[in-house]
Amino acid sequence: MSAGESGKWLGGALPANVRVGMNSVIIGDLAFKRFHSRQPEALCVGANCTMDGVHFDLGDAAQLTIGDYCYFTNAVLLCELEVRIGSYVVVGWNTTIADSDFHPLAPAQRVADAIACSPLGKGRTRPPVVKQPVVIEDDVWIGPNAAILKGVRVGAGAWIEAGSVVTRDVPPGARVLGNPAQIVGEAK
Amino acid sequence: MSLPARTLPWDWHEGVIPRNAKIDSTAYVETSFSFRFFRSELDDAIEYGRGASTYLGTMFDVGPRGRVRLGDYALVHGARIICDSEITIGEYALISWNVVLMDTYRLPANASERRRELERVPGRDPRIASGDVVARPVRVERNVWIGFDACILPGVTVGEGSVVGARSVVMTDVPPFTIVAGNPARIIRPMSQQEMNGANAQ
Ligand SMILES: CC(C)(COP(=O)(O)OP(=O)(O)OC[C@H]1O[C@@H](n2cnc3c(N)ncnc32)[C@H](O)[C@@H]1OP(=O)(O)O)[C@@H](O)C(=O)NCCC(=O)NCCS
Repeated sequence: MSAGESGKWLGGALPANVRVGMNSVIIGDLAFKRFHSRQPEALCVGANCTMDGVHFDLGDAAQLTIGDYCYFTNAVLLCELEVRIGSYVVVGWNTTIADSDFHPLAPAQRVADAIACSPLGKGRTRPPVVKQPVVIEDDVWIGPNAAILKGVRVGAGAWIEAGSVVTRDVPPGARVLGNPAQIVGEAK
Repeated sequence: MSLPARTLPWDWHEGVIPRNAKIDSTAYVETSFSFRFFRSELDDAIEYGRGASTYLGTMFDVGPRGRVRLGDYALVHGARIICDSEITIGEYALISWNVVLMDTYRLPANASERRRELERVPGRDPRIASGDVVARPVRVERNVWIGFDACILPGVTVGEGSVVGARSVVMTDVPPFTIVAGNPARIIRPMSQQEMNGANAQ
C-alpha cells in the first residue's frame, strides 16, 4: 500500500484493523455494521478504490484484501476466512461474495445449529461450517445480482454476467453466465 | 382471541404485533415492521413455536385468509412471506436473507384481468395487489435450509432435512434429505450416508 495520506470512510472513523489506501473511499453508513474481525489487518483496501454501499461483513477470524482501482457498488462481502480480490476489479449492484455457507450441510448438525442460533441457544457453541477462500484475480468484471460462492477462484480478466451464481472456478478470460454459471465464451 | 395488540420494547418501528399472532414467550420478533402488510382476519393467523425467531427484512405479506406457522427453533433471517392460504415453516428450519416464500401470484395471469386488479391497487392502504387468484399452500418441512435470495413458488413442498442453494428458484416439490440448486432448481444430489449420520462432507 502506498505511504502517505490514507483513504477514508465517509460514515465515520475506520475500525482500527482496517487499512484503506491513498485516495480510496468507502461510502455508506452500513459498511461496517457486521464487521467483527479481530485480525490485526482484517481489511486491506488498496489505493484509488471506490467502495460505494459495500457491506464488509467479516467474522471473527476473517481476512479480506482488495487491490487498487477497484470499483464496487452495493456489493455484499461475506467473509469468515479469506477473500482475496485483485486490482481493477468491478463488482456490480447486489452481488454477494461469500467464503462460507454459514450453516452445516448434515441435517443433524443443522438441528444443533438452529438451536444454537435461536433465542434459547445462548452460550451454546455452533457446529463447524465449511469455509473455503475465494480469490478474484485482476481485471475481473462481475455484473449486478451475481453470487460468488465458497472456494471459487475467478481467473484474471474473466467476465461474470449479471445474475450468475458461480459455484466453480472460472478460468482466466472466460465469460460465464447463468445459475449455476456455465462458461459461454471468452471475455472481450 | 382476546389478546391485546402488543408493542415490542426494543422496536425502532412504531407498530404493533397483531392480536391474532400467537407468539411463544421464548420466541423473538426483531421488529413489528414485519407486520406492515399483515391483514389476516383469521383467529390463529400466525403462530411462532418455542425459540422461533424472525429478523429485520422478514415481511408477512399475508392476506385476509392467510395463515403462517413457524415451528420450534425456526429461524427466518429476512424472508418475504406472500400468503393467501397457508405457509408452514417446520421446526429447525433455517431461512436466509431475501428468500421469497409465496403461495400465490396475487395477480391474475390473464392480462385484462390483471389490468383490472392493478387499477384497484392505488385505492388501497397499504397499496397491495390482492386479486382473486388461486393460492396453493407452501410447506417447508422440519430441518430444511433455504439459502439466500432463493424463491419458493406456490404449491411447493420442500421435504424434511433438504437444502435449497442460494439464489435458487424452486418450482416443484423437493424430496426429503436432498440438495437442490439453480434456476430452475434441479436435484444436485441426495444427502450422503455420512451426512445422514451427522458428519459434514469435508
Ligand atoms: C447448496 C450449497 C449449500 C451446496 O454446497 P456444496 O454441497 O458444498 O456444493 P458444491 O459447491 O460442492 O456444488 C455441488 C454442485 O451444486 C451446484 N450448486 C451448488 N450451489 C448452487 C447454487 N446456489 N446455485 C446453483 N447451483 C449450485 C454446483 O454447481 C455443483 O454442480 P456440479 O456438480 O455440476 O459442479 C451451497 O452451494 C450454497 O448454496 N451455499 C449458500 C448457502 C447460503 O445461502 N448461506 C447463507 C446463509 S443461510
